[in-house]
Amino acid sequence: MTVDEICAKVGGSVAVAVEGASAETVYVGDLLSDIMGHAGEDCALVTIQNHLNTIAVCTLVGCSVVVICHSRPVPPDMADGAKREDVAIVVTPMSQYEAALALSSLPPSGR
Amino acid sequence: MKFDLHIHSCLSPCANLEMSPSEIVRRAKEAGLGGIALTDHQSARNTPAVAECARRAGIACLCGLEVCTAEEVHTLALFDTVEQALAMTEWVYAAMPKRVNDPDTFGDQPVVTWDDDIVEMEWRILAMGCRKSIPEVSGKCHELGGMYLAAHIDRSAFSVYSQLGGIPEDGNFDAVELSRTADESEWLPKAGGYAVTRSSDAHNLDDVARVWTEADVSEFSVASLKAAFAARATRISPRLTRF
Repeated sequence: MTVDEICAKVGGSVAVAVEGASAETVYVGDLLSDIMGHAGEDCALVTIQNHLNTIAVCTLVGCSVVVICHSRPVPPDMADGAKREDVAIVVTPMSQYEAALALSSLPPSGR
Repeated sequence: MKFDLHIHSCLSPCANLEMSPSEIVRRAKEAGLGGIALTDHQSARNTPAVAECARRAGIACLCGLEVCTAEEVHTLALFDTVEQALAMTEWVYAAMPKRVNDPDTFGDQPVVTWDDDIVEMEWRILAMGCRKSIPEVSGKCHELGGMYLAAHIDRSAFSVYSQLGGIPEDGNFDAVELSRTADESEWLPKAGGYAVTRSSDAHNLDDVARVWTEADVSEFSVASLKAAFAARATRISPRLTRF
């Protein structure tokens, strides 16, 4: 699923665009240690963690799309890190559960 | 005495590499601080260097680390001696993921000497939390003779409020910290009755001592600061209205 398709499903906006970024699965989590331990490659990460360290964890697990919930603002250092690491960021007013439901055509991520 | 209880050195992956122990101490002394605490993420391995620089400069120093707990809350464990801080570090290390740091992803983590030589690069990912909960970390810190603070409680990430919605009753903190921009009128009522500090959380030299805490203490030690906290005899600097 492309970033634009994800964006449309969650009624969000693209904060950081990355050409060709897409997701095959979805993982929902707000604890970075949990995400690092359980999220799989090519997932869309649905989270409220609007922090630079989220991008670092994405690079470790191979996630290339982050969906930030509750319209939390993306800090400049997080946006810069995402551009540098080719991680797209979508911001949605939805909660994590609502966003997960909206993306339910994708299978769950996990390893 | 004015002091800054939350300063990162170059060992912290997110800190500027200019944060050498000698420069931190020089900047703190120039700013008129009577005491500092070094608090790198998950590690006190640069406290021997900072303690030596502080000794040479005639400024008091506590040895600490900023422990990211299982709840992913940032907390400060502060000690009088390098040995206590390194013992705490070993305990935290044993509860951390055994993944190797990628400097390109998280940043460099040099362990340095007092005169700025690099000893080695820390291999653990210091940006990650450990598996110990706040009550466990608090207990270990106090067992080793330290004092325990909840860091930047006002921040929207890695704080007791962002992760737990408030100050946990079983945290057994000695004080709580406000960040440099926190509005006292909003946050003092949310301090859970604890004494409040304000520290720089400096990750680059320009931020050292930009804010501070002050207390009438005869010595800069865990015991005297804990007594000042218990007596609510500390004062904090005004907040910064912009970075």
